[in-house]
Amino acid sequence: MIAPAPSLLELQRALRASLVVHDDTGVAAHVVDGAIGAAERLDVYRNTFAGVLTTALRLSYPAVHRLVGAKFFEGAARIFIETSPPESACLDDYGETFADFLSGFEPAASLAYLPDVARLEWAVNHALHALDAEPLDVRRLAALADADRASVRFTPHPSVGLVRARHPADLIWRAVLDEDDSALSAIDPNVGPAWLLVRRLPTGVEVRRINERAWLFTSALCAGMPLAAAFDVARDFETSALLADHLAAGLFVDFRLKEAST
Amino acid sequence: MTRQLTSALLPARGGRGSIPAKAGVGLRFRHHREVLEARPAATWFEVHVENYMGGGSAPGFLDAIRRDYPISLHGTGLSLGSAEGLDAAHLARVREVVERFEPGLVSEHLSFSVAGGTYLADLLPLPMTEEALGVVCRNVAQVQDRLKRRLLVENPSTYVQFRHSTIPEWEFLALVAKRTGCGILCDVNNIYVSACNHGWRASAYLEALPPAAIGEIHLAGHSVRHIDAARTIRIDDHGSRVAPEVWALYAEALARFGPVPTLIEWDTDVPTMAVLLEEAAHADALIQKARDDSARAIAA
Repeated sequence: MIAPAPSLLELQRALRASLVVHDDTGVAAHVVDGAIGAAERLDVYRNTFAGVLTTALRLSYPAVHRLVGAKFFEGAARIFIETSPPESACLDDYGETFADFLSGFEPAASLAYLPDVARLEWAVNHALHALDAEPLDVRRLAALADADRASVRFTPHPSVGLVRARHPADLIWRAVLDEDDSALSAIDPNVGPAWLLVRRLPTGVEVRRINERAWLFTSALCAGMPLAAAFDVARDFETSALLADHLAAGLFVDFRLKEAST
Repeated sequence: MTRQLTSALLPARGGRGSIPAKAGVGLRFRHHREVLEARPAATWFEVHVENYMGGGSAPGFLDAIRRDYPISLHGTGLSLGSAEGLDAAHLARVREVVERFEPGLVSEHLSFSVAGGTYLADLLPLPMTEEALGVVCRNVAQVQDRLKRRLLVENPSTYVQFRHSTIPEWEFLALVAKRTGCGILCDVNNIYVSACNHGWRASAYLEALPPAAIGEIHLAGHSVRHIDAARTIRIDDHGSRVAPEVWALYAEALARFGPVPTLIEWDTDVPTMAVLLEEAAHADALIQKARDDSARAIAA
């Protein structure tokens, strides 16, 4: 019996199932086969789908790839791609939730620091591809009335990322990418947490360690918290100096006095 | 033999931006520095739109390169064949890239790549039906309206045909061009690959395309995949030199369409710029030969 012709929408959804979860039941009957069957023809597209996305993940997570090896990475990627396929054609944006996936991925459980390294790599990837923007002109801040300064809400440079890691993810990441085996073996993955500030400078992406208080303060500012409230979060005599540093370094590109309207 | 270009949607400016009827090469990131430093003798470059949508160094490089070389933008993510319609955010990003780099040509594919909100990372086959024709025409019109310029639509390489197709692919593409005023990007390698995979006559494909609509030609390498001892399928992988049979089909296309801007595509195992320019030189020689043959025919 010839299958009734599907609508275009039905057929395209069926092809999605064929590629993402390897389910040909909705499409096989509609494919002209012959010497080469429907499954083999669909394999061509399946292989491209899996290959392109695995490559995208490998390019975004090179340290994770080196730490687990190609075979393990491809196996993990295949499962991730099936459950979290891309929503956008900009593949630089693909794989944001890979670190969360790795946290719950039982075969990777013995590498407790792996999700942290992945989180750092995502921040680096994001920094690499973020749009550029001019730093805030601090004279605009200086011109504010004192009363207004407390309610300043900053907009961070698009490349800024803040990563809180339970393990020394930055040391591991650097040693792996530098292919420095002796440095890698000298790292104690359980030495303690790291608070990291990631941003893109003209010279490239910078990953900098800061202390916990500074990280909490910087995170609050970058989240657009009003300045007075951000100072409350930090409660540290060094925060004014840190704010001055951030302003001089061009960490912020704008500010507003009111809540951003949604 | 002249080609009438549909003038209404073409960008008004000529000169630097517009693409001459000669061979160009696909520009990959790895060639950026070489192009800026060595200024190779490429006539024009084509890049993938999706690679220039973010920030970082790539857009800056292209800003510099396009000051000296005409640029063509080729997209893979718009999904002209999607029944669920175009992704507005992606179309907006494409427009931004087009406005920033002012390319001589903008092109996309006769296929779909988005379904159920998922980007499927490949150019997927469409059934050749009246319904699909309506969807493609609607989406192409929307793109041209948004970009305020003519779009070129490329014929795909396909590994699947559908039982319920009613229109030959070459007629389908000609109808899209007729109904929307879009141009056609004739990928000669794709015609060859699909003809081998489906038992078509490649020349029949060329014969059905309206010469006036042809805005660009693509040439690329392909590979032969052996499924087993008896069965092969050709894969359009853009990973090698143009095959001799494809050069022959290209000469046929030039005889039919006249000189057309021709791109050498090479996306996997990308070689040196010198190798790409060798392939471009081969295409230029064939274009010149077609001009000479045409002039002799007119003079005779």
